[in-house]
Amino acid sequence: MGILSSVADFIDSLAKRHRLLPWLLAYALLLPLPFVLATLFNEYLIDLANRICLFILLAVGLNIVKGFCGQVTVGHIGLYAIGAVTSAVLALEPGGFGGALGFGWPIWAAIPTAVLVTAFAGLIVGLPSVRLEGAYLALATLGLGESVRIFIAVTPALGSSTGLMMIPSPSIGSFVFDSFTSYYYLVMTAAIIGIYFSFSILRSATGRAFQAIREDTIAASVNGINVVKYKLLAFVLSAVYAGLAGALFAHMPPGYLHHNNFTVIEMVTLLLMVVLGGIGNVWGGVIGAIVVAIAYDQTKDLVFYFMDRPIVIQPLVFGLSMVLLVMFMPRGIGGWIEDFQRNRRFIRRSEERLGGTARNS
Amino acid sequence: MGFDYNSLLAFIIFGVTIGVVYGIVALGISLIYSGLDIVHFAHGEMYMFGAFFGLVLAHNVGVPYPIALIGAMVLTALLGMAVERVFYRRLTRAGGGYTVAGMGMIICGFGMSVALVNVAYFIWGAEAEPFRANLDYIPRLSFPGDIEVPESYVLTAIISVALMAALHYFLRHTKTGLAVRAVAHNKDIAYLMGINVPLMISLIFGLACGLAAAAGVLIGPMQSVQVEMGYLMLMKAFAAAVVGGFGSLPGAILGGIMVGVFENLGAAYISPSHKDIYAFLLLILVLMFKPSGLLGVEAKVKA
Repeated sequence: MGILSSVADFIDSLAKRHRLLPWLLAYALLLPLPFVLATLFNEYLIDLANRICLFILLAVGLNIVKGFCGQVTVGHIGLYAIGAVTSAVLALEPGGFGGALGFGWPIWAAIPTAVLVTAFAGLIVGLPSVRLEGAYLALATLGLGESVRIFIAVTPALGSSTGLMMIPSPSIGSFVFDSFTSYYYLVMTAAIIGIYFSFSILRSATGRAFQAIREDTIAASVNGINVVKYKLLAFVLSAVYAGLAGALFAHMPPGYLHHNNFTVIEMVTLLLMVVLGGIGNVWGGVIGAIVVAIAYDQTKDLVFYFMDRPIVIQPLVFGLSMVLLVMFMPRGIGGWIEDFQRNRRFIRRSEERLGGTARNS
Repeated sequence: MGFDYNSLLAFIIFGVTIGVVYGIVALGISLIYSGLDIVHFAHGEMYMFGAFFGLVLAHNVGVPYPIALIGAMVLTALLGMAVERVFYRRLTRAGGGYTVAGMGMIICGFGMSVALVNVAYFIWGAEAEPFRANLDYIPRLSFPGDIEVPESYVLTAIISVALMAALHYFLRHTKTGLAVRAVAHNKDIAYLMGINVPLMISLIFGLACGLAAAAGVLIGPMQSVQVEMGYLMLMKAFAAAVVGGFGSLPGAILGGIMVGVFENLGAAYISPSHKDIYAFLLLILVLMFKPSGLLGVEAKVKA
């Protein structure tokens, strides 16, 4: 607790000077990560770090619609798929393998277009939320998300069973983001900016409107909040996150995209991240994404032999841990963070009242 | 070549038969929804477990098909009740439906679904197993225009109707059925009337899982039985339940038949490889334009 409090105090003092300073510090601290990983462990972990950054984007985006605005959506992975496939297809050269579509757009045009397309898809996913609540909404979004995946899986122009190959890497001038290390800077920057904007949204009038809708839709509308507009806005914002994550995923080396990346297991993993992080807590979501992505990666090849049959136990572990988390730790890691922050606020107020003796007493 | 009415009729007949099976699973989902205010996302796995229990009973134990059907229903009902008792009760007691606990329940159902698939994978492996059933004593049905309906389809239709009739009788004409309906209507008042609500909820869960198992055993001889069969069935049953009106039992059957016919016609006349999407399309269309479904009651928003 002592170390954590002093770190929090330090961040507070930085934030007092300029609100962007803690973010810049975090960015600077994360810059040498690929070199640390490469020297201490191996190159593969950089790839893992890249995927963690994408998952952070996804989890933070899902948190906006689910945590801030309280809309139960389980089709988020479908938006991710839309972003990825759109960007890949736009950037691919025409006449690719297996009848895959290609438009040959420059990548820096393809990615924003993919984000826009995904935002529009998010609007469509959000439309049922105007009329549906809770369980119905979960069903509608699940149907939409899953039909996106099946559509990709059966349409040869979008890769179908072979997947999309040779998706080009982005570049700035002559610098090409084609290695794990160089791509890390792209996705890490995106993740940090994503987290920052998520906080901006939370603290703005829009964020407060989202939370009002989450707490009580009727009371929110009585207080003059345009419920329809803000619900749709939440969906669109989270779709922007998903689309960006998807587009970045498509162009990530080795530039290969397969619909197996968008299955229910991925959706469950994403849900687990948000649940473990505590629904509605941004930092919780980020920590959840990191923990789950590492756990996912490390248990991927864990094979258990049962009656001479290799059994991959990872999905079982993930499913069960989700059930147990919801049952026994409904507030997730975010609950701890909130408790910690509340304690600190309480101590600070007590100090002000007692003249600086509360912490030692 | 003109329009072939015979094949259209055939597609509709097969669509109705498969749709009745969707309807049975949807019945279970609707039953759980009306009783517990939760959407059971692991219901497809109950269907899958039912199919496997039936398979084991029919092949390894060697009992006749109808007894395998009943055995699978009982076993799956017990499994469902155990899952409800151990995992869901804690969550449903906190309140289901539209609350935060309802969100937890959805996530919990998802996790349970993934866990159950892998338990089944653990036991039975990933291969698709054919379900061989001796159905020679069932007559084949012939329709005008050279349409022959295989035995398994005829049997499915008969058993489905019998199951629905039994469920209807149970809910409408027995005292326990009355108690179940009371619990579905209002749990607090049901408590006050001296009904053992937790027991009734267990019963609802058992019934719903038994129905799913029946669907699994019925569909076994038509398709093969494999671990991942539950997920698509769940989606289609959801579509069926929503199309008919969530929580409405006749609606579930009607929705199932509609989904079955819609999907068969879509596969026949639009594109067969997109077959699995049509159910979702129907689901989304109905949700957007008439969320209460065809036979459902308008959902009230509680202030």
